[in-house]
Amino acid sequence: MANVLYAVIQIFVIIMLAPLVNGIIKKVKAFTQKRKGAPVLQMYFDLLKLIKKSVVVSDVSSWIFKVTPYIVFSSAVAAALLVPVTTMIMPVGFAGDIILMVYILALGRFFMMLAALDTGSTFGGMGASREAMISSLIEPSILITLFTVALIPNSTSVYQIMGSMKAADFPLIHPVYILTFIAMLVIIIAETSRIPVDDPATHLELTMVHEAMILEYSGRNLALIELGAAVKQLVFITLLVNIFIPHDQFISIAGIGAVAISLLIYLIKVIFVAVVIAIVEVSTVKLRLFSIPNIAALAFILSFLGFLQYFILGR
Amino acid sequence: MSDFLDVLSVLILLSSFILMANKRIKSYIQTFRIQSALIALTAGIMGIDILSKEGRFDVLIVCVIIIAMKVIYIPHLLNKAYTNVEYKIEKDFFLNIPILIFVCCMIVVFCYFSISNTGGINLGIINLRVVNSVSLILIGLFFMISRKKAIGQIIGFLVIENGLFITAMLATQGMPFIVDIGIFIDMLTAVLILGIMVFKINEKFDSIDMNELKNLRG
Repeated sequence: MANVLYAVIQIFVIIMLAPLVNGIIKKVKAFTQKRKGAPVLQMYFDLLKLIKKSVVVSDVSSWIFKVTPYIVFSSAVAAALLVPVTTMIMPVGFAGDIILMVYILALGRFFMMLAALDTGSTFGGMGASREAMISSLIEPSILITLFTVALIPNSTSVYQIMGSMKAADFPLIHPVYILTFIAMLVIIIAETSRIPVDDPATHLELTMVHEAMILEYSGRNLALIELGAAVKQLVFITLLVNIFIPHDQFISIAGIGAVAISLLIYLIKVIFVAVVIAIVEVSTVKLRLFSIPNIAALAFILSFLGFLQYFILGR
Repeated sequence: MSDFLDVLSVLILLSSFILMANKRIKSYIQTFRIQSALIALTAGIMGIDILSKEGRFDVLIVCVIIIAMKVIYIPHLLNKAYTNVEYKIEKDFFLNIPILIFVCCMIVVFCYFSISNTGGINLGIINLRVVNSVSLILIGLFFMISRKKAIGQIIGFLVIENGLFITAMLATQGMPFIVDIGIFIDMLTAVLILGIMVFKINEKFDSIDMNELKNLRG
């Protein structure tokens, strides 16, 4: 019974929080450009408006186009279930769930690429091929990062990894964790279509990747895909903050109050990471598409060096 | 203390990877400055430790010399040479950047397998730091042969020197003061001469590409 309650809390927190992260990133970017910027809650208003609007579907598209928004959204939510927001509430946990999480997200991305090809528009095909390239370049570094992190507690369960991190005083002062942490930051930026790899605010046909794939969607379907993308971003941020900056050891009380405090600290950490991402976004330029292998190679090497340091260190 | 030194040795190694992934000569100089600052930080931490344990303060003096020379003076000198030459970005590599980075990674693997089999220095924790710093020397060497422009090669030389210094530092808890000073003065002279040579090569051939040096008729 408690597990069901935890799962409901987890899904509710993640879905409600996901658009806020986008709002914070946009607000910080606006501040650095001396603009006032849209309100932090703008994405909620956008989603509400999109849900009210009617859906336009192309005549030539097949069933893939119609089911894709639901698959994208539900795969993101299913991945969110596997990453505990705090160690105090544990919705779903079993051996190997970290690998399952990566490939559940890949399933959503696969269907998104299919749907982009489905309508037969030029931009859809272009965006899909670019997305396939970026995701195939980034996938090895995600897996090696997660495996390296999993080596220390000898378990691929996110819950166990967080538990072993709780035991350490300062997890970031460690050769393995500092490298995988930086690798994870690069991965988040590449996975969530942020600036050095893809520009989320552009509709310029030469540069867009994620936007090109969702160009044909409208109304409720678009709202689901946008919310799915935001949830996916929050899943990665949650993975980052909870693996590398654990906080539960500082809470000494127990019960419902502890969960509330834990969620509050989690919120502060997510806001912190959102600000960091925004700063990275304003301080770099978008790379050429053919320079992305360089970034992917760097991310791979960071994670591989972390993997190597584990053996060099011998503990 | 020991954890901090581990992390610093890894960050110094990481800065050499970032150097290898760079294309702009300005970012070479900037990354070298960051690497030297990290080395100065390592020397500072070790110096304070040695001062409190043994009462020697020569490592702290070495730390101050590193900050003055490698963080401030030599980057300034290279920036001056950089403003004189017209090549701001390195275009033609022998290999492309992902392959260069993979070769560097293989260097680290090679160092791990060759050093972990030796006795003597293989005393627990020193192992990690010596692997990282010896790979820094070899990566500096590889950086030197992978770049065609003169400033890149000077930076490679300086990275080798950084690697030698940090290897000696981490393996022996600070070399004799006079040895350090001797190495620093040698390096400073080398960089001064190389800086003048960059200027002269640029003046003579309108380029700092090393391949132009094949025809020395002027």
